[in-house]
Amino acid sequence: MKKNTFYLIVGCIAITLVGLFWYSDVIRQPLLIEIAFIVAVAAIYLIRRQVTDLKEDERDVKITEQAVLRTMQVFWVVFCAFSIGAVMQLLRAPSFPRGFHMEPPPILPELLSPRMIGFVQLGLLCLMIFLYVGFRIYYAGKYGGWETDEE
Amino acid sequence: MRNKIKVFRAIHDLTQENLALLIGVNRQTILAIEKGKYVPSLDLAFRIARYFGVPIEEVFIYEDEEQNKS
Repeated sequence: MKKNTFYLIVGCIAITLVGLFWYSDVIRQPLLIEIAFIVAVAAIYLIRRQVTDLKEDERDVKITEQAVLRTMQVFWVVFCAFSIGAVMQLLRAPSFPRGFHMEPPPILPELLSPRMIGFVQLGLLCLMIFLYVGFRIYYAGKYGGWETDEE
Repeated sequence: MRNKIKVFRAIHDLTQENLALLIGVNRQTILAIEKGKYVPSLDLAFRIARYFGVPIEEVFIYEDEEQNKS
């Protein structure tokens, strides 16, 4: 299979996913898009193996590895920070000092409603994509990405 | 790490594209190695040296960074 055919198929899969995302929202069935996403990624990996003119050498692998590593390093810190906040809400942690009066701990306002969690997840997803693309551009440049030769 | 790939390419009358095809990597990788931006793996270094029919140390010259600073 040619490289361009592969990109065309990936584009079609992406458009299908957007359609399924819309449809699963209409029928209020998030499981549909979740399963579709996993199937789509698996399909892309399988189709990619059939491509004959898409060469990935050790330098490409190194760039990808470095970008993934740095993305995860930044991402886990942000994700943990958010998770700690969510756990705090779960525990309904009291404010200190509480003094000698054993008053019931104040109830925190509902900051993390399911809708709010959705927005935060969206933010984290975007952050991950931007971080990965940014690091990939950085490491591609570092390992001689877009230089031209005088030959 | 310095290297003489460009010199050996000239001797064998090879372009970066040709060498990349023969070694099985992308042209950008050969370019990055020549410019010293990317240090190849031992496997790739041996493949390049073997293609030119010379020992690896003739193509790649290891330079201690501390030595370079002094």
